[in-house]
Amino acid sequence: MKVTLAMKPAARSFIPIEAESIVPKNFLDGTDLLVWRGNRELRLDEVFSVSVEGDADRAEDVEVVLSGETSRLKRVGEYMDGGRITILGNIGMHCGNFMSGGTIEVHGNADGWLGREMAGGTIVCRGDAADYCASGYRGGRKGMTGGTVEVFGRAGDFLAESIAGGTVTVHGNAGDMAGAEMRGGTLVVHGDCRRPGANMKEGSCYVYGTAQGMLPTFRKIGTVQHEGHTLIRFAGDIANRGKGNLFVKDYEYLD
Amino acid sequence: MTELLVKNAYVIDPLRGINAETMDIAILDGKIVEEVSDAAEVIDARGMLTLPGGVDSHTHICGTKVNFGRYMSPEDMRAGRTPRQGPLHATSGYSVPTTYGNSYRYSVMGYTTLLEGAMAPLEARHTHEEFIYTPLQDTMANTLFDGNWAIMEAIRDGDVKRVAAIIGWTLRAVKGFAIKLTNPGGTEAWQWGKNVSCIRDPVPYFEVTPAEIIRSIVEANELLGLPHSVHLHCNNLGTPGNYSCTLGSLGLIPDLNKKRQTLYATHVQFHAYGGSDWKDFCSKSEPIARFVDMRPQIVMDMGQVMFGRTTTMTADGPMEFNLYRLHHEKWSNHDVELETGSGIIPVIYRRKNLVNSIMWAIGLELALLTKSPWQCLLTTDNPNGAPFVKYPEIIGLLMSKKYRDAEFATIHPDTEARVPLPAIERELDWYEIAVMTRAGQAKALGIQDLGKGHLGPGADADVAIYPLKIGEVDPSVDYQKVIDAFSRTEYTIKRGTVVARRGECLVDGSNATFWVRPKVSEAYDMGKDPDFIEKFDRYYTVRMRNYPVQEEYLNRNRCIETEARI
Amino acid sequence: MIVKDAVCPFCGCLCDDIEVEVEDDRVVAVTNACELGTTKFMGEKRMKNPILRDGDRWRDITYDEAVQYAADMLLSAERPLLYGWSGTHGEAQCVGVHMAELVRGVIDNTSSVCHGPSILAIQEVGHPGCTLGVVKNRADLVIYWGSNPIDAHPRHLSRYTRYAEGFFLENAFRDRKVIVVDIRKTETANIADEFVRIKPGGDYAVLSALRAIVQGKTDTIPRTVAGVTREQLVRVANLCKNAKFGAVYFGLGLTMTRGKYKNIRNAIELVSELSRHTKFTISAMRGHYNVYGSNEVNTWMTGYPFGIDYSRGIAFYNPGETTAVDILARKECDAALIVGSDPAAHFPRKCLEHLADIPVVQLDPYPNATTAFCNVQIPVAVTGIDAEGTAYRMDGVPIRTRKVLSTDYLSDREVLSRMCALMQEALER
Repeated sequence: MKVTLAMKPAARSFIPIEAESIVPKNFLDGTDLLVWRGNRELRLDEVFSVSVEGDADRAEDVEVVLSGETSRLKRVGEYMDGGRITILGNIGMHCGNFMSGGTIEVHGNADGWLGREMAGGTIVCRGDAADYCASGYRGGRKGMTGGTVEVFGRAGDFLAESIAGGTVTVHGNAGDMAGAEMRGGTLVVHGDCRRPGANMKEGSCYVYGTAQGMLPTFRKIGTVQHEGHTLIRFAGDIANRGKGNLFVKDYEYLD
Repeated sequence: MTELLVKNAYVIDPLRGINAETMDIAILDGKIVEEVSDAAEVIDARGMLTLPGGVDSHTHICGTKVNFGRYMSPEDMRAGRTPRQGPLHATSGYSVPTTYGNSYRYSVMGYTTLLEGAMAPLEARHTHEEFIYTPLQDTMANTLFDGNWAIMEAIRDGDVKRVAAIIGWTLRAVKGFAIKLTNPGGTEAWQWGKNVSCIRDPVPYFEVTPAEIIRSIVEANELLGLPHSVHLHCNNLGTPGNYSCTLGSLGLIPDLNKKRQTLYATHVQFHAYGGSDWKDFCSKSEPIARFVDMRPQIVMDMGQVMFGRTTTMTADGPMEFNLYRLHHEKWSNHDVELETGSGIIPVIYRRKNLVNSIMWAIGLELALLTKSPWQCLLTTDNPNGAPFVKYPEIIGLLMSKKYRDAEFATIHPDTEARVPLPAIERELDWYEIAVMTRAGQAKALGIQDLGKGHLGPGADADVAIYPLKIGEVDPSVDYQKVIDAFSRTEYTIKRGTVVARRGECLVDGSNATFWVRPKVSEAYDMGKDPDFIEKFDRYYTVRMRNYPVQEEYLNRNRCIETEARI
Repeated sequence: MIVKDAVCPFCGCLCDDIEVEVEDDRVVAVTNACELGTTKFMGEKRMKNPILRDGDRWRDITYDEAVQYAADMLLSAERPLLYGWSGTHGEAQCVGVHMAELVRGVIDNTSSVCHGPSILAIQEVGHPGCTLGVVKNRADLVIYWGSNPIDAHPRHLSRYTRYAEGFFLENAFRDRKVIVVDIRKTETANIADEFVRIKPGGDYAVLSALRAIVQGKTDTIPRTVAGVTREQLVRVANLCKNAKFGAVYFGLGLTMTRGKYKNIRNAIELVSELSRHTKFTISAMRGHYNVYGSNEVNTWMTGYPFGIDYSRGIAFYNPGETTAVDILARKECDAALIVGSDPAAHFPRKCLEHLADIPVVQLDPYPNATTAFCNVQIPVAVTGIDAEGTAYRMDGVPIRTRKVLSTDYLSDREVLSRMCALMQEALER
């Protein structure tokens, strides 16, 4: 089954729309779903032109395609456990929150908190991901615990904050504090980033570019070969009695 | 004039010696009366179990430390969120809910009176502000005197009357209800990062011992004629082997009051530990219960631990720091100048953890081994042992050996060798539960004469009707029915108004605050004592004139005047 | 008439020893207050009555009209923002929360532009703190990190630290050491015993290094960290460990610089580490006199200290998304009620562009920068001058502000209560 949701132009287009109902399995029972614009509850078809092709008995066989100006559409794919969501443009905050299965593909950019507290499944973002990609929630809960997130563009600050499992790969540069409070899982940044692994406890963080503002509390161990890169290996963050591994191609202290 | 008649109520009212009688309850303008006119609105209780409104004599629901527990825990707020509905406000939170969350959930369980377990005098205004937003219960606050400089100096000088005078002035100023001692002396030592080990260990600089603090303040409490006794959180909470310190503390207490106990020892579960370290940690509930059985001057509450996530919070700052070092979770601490302190950390009690399993057993043992239910009241030290919404499960455990055994089978297997619980056959009955959840609590707090904890004419019309016919339920088998009934009243009536019905609160309400004003002679009025004033002005950072809590902070003002003997 | 023990409604020190001399319903002299407080007490020219924007001009309107305008505006909005709150009393803040609940709006206070990051850090690791009097009576070491009290909290030094007497200090001025950590030599640095100068953006690294050194792992630390030599770091760590009672006070120099809440988290974790060796506490230098009160009120009523979104009925909290600056910059609200703050004076340009596009009502005694963005402004009494009410000091101590003179102005609480009642009636209809 393929569900196509084309965003209609709206008068008060600046008010964000929260659409946690847009999850593949919800379309097994039709398209009679509700979304919220600010404090107003709206029917799905008030916000989108909805069309459905084919049918399905299980979420795995449902693909939802979102088109139009979706950059203010929040919480798409929240708690998703199977099926596929394809976003042709940009997507708003909290896409794929708590996701445990299935695939989300974003062709444009993703706003903050992409894949927050994700437990399984796959998110692919062809453009850039904003701050807190694959992170945790306020209060220091575990971030991502499983699944994979792959960003082909750049990532913002606090990438994979508190990550405890799963894999996050960013092909471009990442911002400040990548992998902060890391306690498991794997973070790979192909480009540069600032202050990776701050306060990390466990897990592995790879930076194929330069770690700027490298923190002084990582102990240099030696060099290793990894996926065709020669990387310098550090252990830390010793400020936090951490046993994490940080691998960087190059680093600069703020000395 | 509003009249209400509850017909066919199956009443247990221990303070009046009523054990399961069918009767009508007449209510006029918020009070229970002998009879009402035919015009009265009628509620047919249809033989359902009807008790005086629940009283919690030790809970943490309002004030600086509770609010800090909320402030630091956005993750806790993700649970229990409800939207605004009709007259009801939105709520959030599980172990440290918002004030409305606390109030509505307590109300649904039939609770109408709550005692906040710890209020720092300097921050009392905060507690009272939150009381206003706890609309469906009457409230009162234990006031902390465990590290009070002026009091420790008076004790050092051997002047118990001065101790009483300082307490009297403070209670009146901060609109407090009773005296709370939390780890006496320890909270002052903690302001140097130290602690006291037990009751004979002197407090740094002040050179008084916890034993001297406890004894003098118990005496002062009676000089002031306060309704409640001293409310003690013993030294050494939560450490293996602390039961001997607890027994030592309880042993200090003479029997000074005919109407009620002389000491209320709170959350004794946390103080009934044997062993010399965590490896040989075990239950010492038996010696504690035996000791209390022989001493009518002592009442305690359970401080039951239930498995799951919660937030611990206490004025016992050093204890929380020790917990922080064990768990390495987030830790907050807040010392209060010249008075006391507090600490907070979130915890998870796990069935698979041996220490947690033993703690769970100890609370139940205290309740089952203590002969008189009037001497061991039902609490979790909310939220320290568990959030209060677990009370119905605790009632189920106390009433059913079968339920206890079923639970016991799920906890750490080594527990059996460390605790007496599996051998205890006792199952509490309805009357005993009624004592432990309202009558005993009201008596211990000394508020039965103020119309709390019973349904006699003149009492506040606080009534809880539970959807349960006790003739038709065998609690030792049908414990789930007991749990369900105590989780959700059919009706909760507060001051004559139905405030909750089948799990839904109905009105916004407005609470009353009980506080005490001991009348002392001119010579013992600390507001005029030059030495007291001089030290206040030099060492506090708030002016003495700005310290007292104004009456603007009391929604419904229930001042209790006492005749002090000073 | 002289009013004694008045409470200063300026900064988070909430000094309550002020003497205010009043003549003919005017404040004529102020004793004990700092310059900032004195200026506030002496007042400026107040707005006389509510005003409504009418094309390019302002038109005088009645309180009833103004309140009705605000109620209608909030009720018709899909995502109203109720912002400010730090410059008013707690009782008004409570009404504000009820209003946000009622209209399903977002309520946020000024901490989102000052100590919001400190709160986020506390939510991750907690907060070992104490009241100001504990520091005054005990501390033999005080560290000001990224804060400059001589400028922003002028009496902090005299009432609580450098120049205060203390019960346990024989000669407080001599026995109490003061360390200042900052990126430039501030006035406060001039009175410090030790000044640690950090390169901009280097606080986090320095804090991490100190934590490692306190744990005895000095060897790993590079020769300099963000401009600070390892020798100085070791000296500072030793001063901390050897103190009997240490207190850290941090300001916006730590919360609002690179890394933001992670800086504060690191500072708190340093203090928790030091607590294993000696007594140590840490506290934020809160700005507005009642910003902490706004956090407290929000917390007991909504569960969260700031940035609460009631759009969906239940409370949702996510600073960075539900905070005023972010909402305005993303144009995610369609009406704003401003109480007890002046966002136009502090917010980025992008936020103000949206503020100019939506209806705005402000409660404020004075014309201010935000007035230019208002459709309606309602003058109110000033808490601590002609209105009384509760305020929370930077350390959480609640104090009731005094009324030093009587005017005809309504208080924030009175105006908001009327607004709330109107909205409630409208919704019941």
